[in-house]
Amino acid sequence: MLSFLGRRLGSGVVLVFAITTLAYLLLYLGSGDIARRILGQTASQEQVAAKASELGLDRPIWVQYADWLSGAVTGDLGRSWFTGQLVIDGVTTRLGVTLSLVIGATVITAIVSAALGVWAALAGGWVDRTIQFLTVLGMAIPGFLIAVGLVLVLAIQLGWFNATGYVGFTSSPPGWARSVTLPVVALAVGGASAVTQQIRGAVVDELERDYVRTLRSRGLPASSVVFKHALRNASGPALAVLNVQFVGMLGGAVIVEQVFQMPGLGQLAVGATTQGDIPIVMGLVVATAIIVILVNLLIDIAQGIINPKVRLA
Amino acid sequence: MIRRDFMKLTGASAALGVIGLAGCSSGGGAGAGGEGGGELVLGLISAPMSFDPSIAEWGNRSPYYQAVYDTLLLATPEGEIEPYLATAFEYDEAETLLTLTIREGVTFSDGETLDAEAVALSMNRFKDGTGPDAGYMTYVDTITATDATTVEVAFTAPDPAFLNYLTRTAGLVMSPAAVENEDLPTNPVGSGPYTLDTAATVTETTYTFLKREDYWNPDVQHYDSLVMRVFQDPTAMLNAVRAGELNYAKLSSPESFAEAEGAGFTLNSNELDFQGLLLFDRDGELAPALADVRVRQAINHAIDRPALLEAIALGHGTVTTQVFPTTSDAYDEALDDRYPYDVETAKELMAEAGYADGFAITMPSSAALGTTAYALIADALAAIGISVTHEDPGSNFIADMLAPKWAACFMSLEQNPDWQLTQFMIAESAVFNPFGSADETIAGILADYLEADEAGRSELIKQLNEHIVEQAWFAPFYRLEGVVATDEQTSVSMLPTNTLPNIYDIVPA
Repeated sequence: MLSFLGRRLGSGVVLVFAITTLAYLLLYLGSGDIARRILGQTASQEQVAAKASELGLDRPIWVQYADWLSGAVTGDLGRSWFTGQLVIDGVTTRLGVTLSLVIGATVITAIVSAALGVWAALAGGWVDRTIQFLTVLGMAIPGFLIAVGLVLVLAIQLGWFNATGYVGFTSSPPGWARSVTLPVVALAVGGASAVTQQIRGAVVDELERDYVRTLRSRGLPASSVVFKHALRNASGPALAVLNVQFVGMLGGAVIVEQVFQMPGLGQLAVGATTQGDIPIVMGLVVATAIIVILVNLLIDIAQGIINPKVRLA
Repeated sequence: MIRRDFMKLTGASAALGVIGLAGCSSGGGAGAGGEGGGELVLGLISAPMSFDPSIAEWGNRSPYYQAVYDTLLLATPEGEIEPYLATAFEYDEAETLLTLTIREGVTFSDGETLDAEAVALSMNRFKDGTGPDAGYMTYVDTITATDATTVEVAFTAPDPAFLNYLTRTAGLVMSPAAVENEDLPTNPVGSGPYTLDTAATVTETTYTFLKREDYWNPDVQHYDSLVMRVFQDPTAMLNAVRAGELNYAKLSSPESFAEAEGAGFTLNSNELDFQGLLLFDRDGELAPALADVRVRQAINHAIDRPALLEAIALGHGTVTTQVFPTTSDAYDEALDDRYPYDVETAKELMAEAGYADGFAITMPSSAALGTTAYALIADALAAIGISVTHEDPGSNFIADMLAPKWAACFMSLEQNPDWQLTQFMIAESAVFNPFGSADETIAGILADYLEADEAGRSELIKQLNEHIVEQAWFAPFYRLEGVVATDEQTSVSMLPTNTLPNIYDIVPA
């Protein structure tokens, strides 16, 4: 187990290095005249040149990257070129918002999809067909459309939830619930649909296996057969899909945070990328890469715990 | 049995939903009552740059700086410049020495006293800074505190726009004790009416300001707190307006005006920017045809301004042929009829200039200015034989435009006060005169302007405007309506010199 964790963490470090190097190169090539963008249209060419020099943008790319990397390994990700904010502060203050959304959406996805998937597999008939139809619909409708619809009806017309903004849990739990419910639902619909399909199919397959017939013939309660045995065996593929959905939701949060004006990583990513605020974008790349690597690791561990056939060595 | 266990599972799911709904009541409302105090929630379209005033920017970012800092002078809704931190200001006869008398009894939020030394320090930092407005100090030679309440600003040449600069970024004063603070970009220390509540602030998203109890001018503190929310997406801003989450919203899209009104908001507007073609290449370096004034005049005649105003800005603006604002002495209503839409006249002018068969020109486009305008401009110019190709330089739009890479372009520019405007888009060294176009008339008028008295300047700037229009240096289409929407609890007085009002002029209705 320890050697497994060591290997995975080691490969994670290499992966983060590779991702950041590639990201820096791509950002640099596509960044254009950043100093002009910082100063706007009123600045003279001399002012623009002075700003570029102040930020070190007149140095070769490899010098700039080495400068960034040497800081990054000591935890200093620099400051935003536009606001002067420390990158580490900018990322960490927004991390909680995005994780609220993505973890909330993942939990809802897991619960709803387990419930609907098992129900569809057991009930069959019109229940199965209805659930399958709804899940196809859920996967087909883009998340941002769901978000816009939810805002128009539940926030603007009915006033049940906030249309925009985020309220911290510590400052007001009910306010937090009002602010995150719609974005979480908008994020979860697509994921829950996909995972429901996966669980339904896996449970149907498991229920047709010989060991299920044997368990039933030995008089085990049906609930035990389904939840202790069939669902457990079906959970492996479901966890793999959930892992993919979690990463997908991190990306989906970009759109949802825009629609709901949530101060999360996605909103920061849009603003920083549009402006060409490379220090902030690099901070986001590092944070996202670490999150994805850790979630992958956790899912692997969970797979091992749920299904002993999966070896972690 | 299976069904019962399954119901347990779905019950858990439902419980989660109930927990979510338990927190639901009415949507979060914004606002102070009509009697003042309370909270004012503003929706803005730009986050501040660093809070370090030496690199600050005004325009759409002014409320953040005005909340925490004071300016030396104050621009009023009536278009006047009044004392603020500086209680008096006076030029010498040559206008190369400005003497500012600094208000006594003012303190910064860190308890430090505001005096002439602090003012000189802030002004010198701004002069040495690399912010967008550093050009405001181009003609400033030295800034010196001569005693506790007097600051002298010496100029290398007169700068008639300088007093206006002191109503904005060049006039911001910070605490000298905060200069070395590492967190200065995100934790400002000024003498303004509010302080930034850093614990309730998320950079680039939400900024919360709390009223200072010891502010020297409590008459302008209309609220206990200000919450400034930044909206990157106009639709999200409109959703917040319709959900009653804002008291005040800067609307950037004409499409949203009617919807904001429908939500019970009042539209407060000014006309600060003009949109039109900037015919940069007046010497014909990239497009030889533009060197002929008749071609530039033909372009002006080819534009159906009312139709463009309706199509691009849904009629929210006023057609014009002038780059000077209506508040300027230069503005002459009669000049707006100088280039009526007349394709036949335009074609005759093109033929006289030797371009009866037209010519081809490449211009830049930017998604920030929409897509409608470019197609309409291309159609309008095609009608007189000018074939326009638009290319999108992406984020290098401004940089490439000022490089300069194109002979002409469609653009939106601010109509500044007179001298500031000449230095922005007309003078040989102006930023938006990238080819350095010049003629003797313009150079003579600008030289005379600096020597003239107030009446003389008024006459000279009129002559300059007339000359620019006649020479068709630009092809302005219309002045664009800039709108701030306010709810029924809030009223505002707009400024003629900035896209957003002073925060002091936002009051409970």
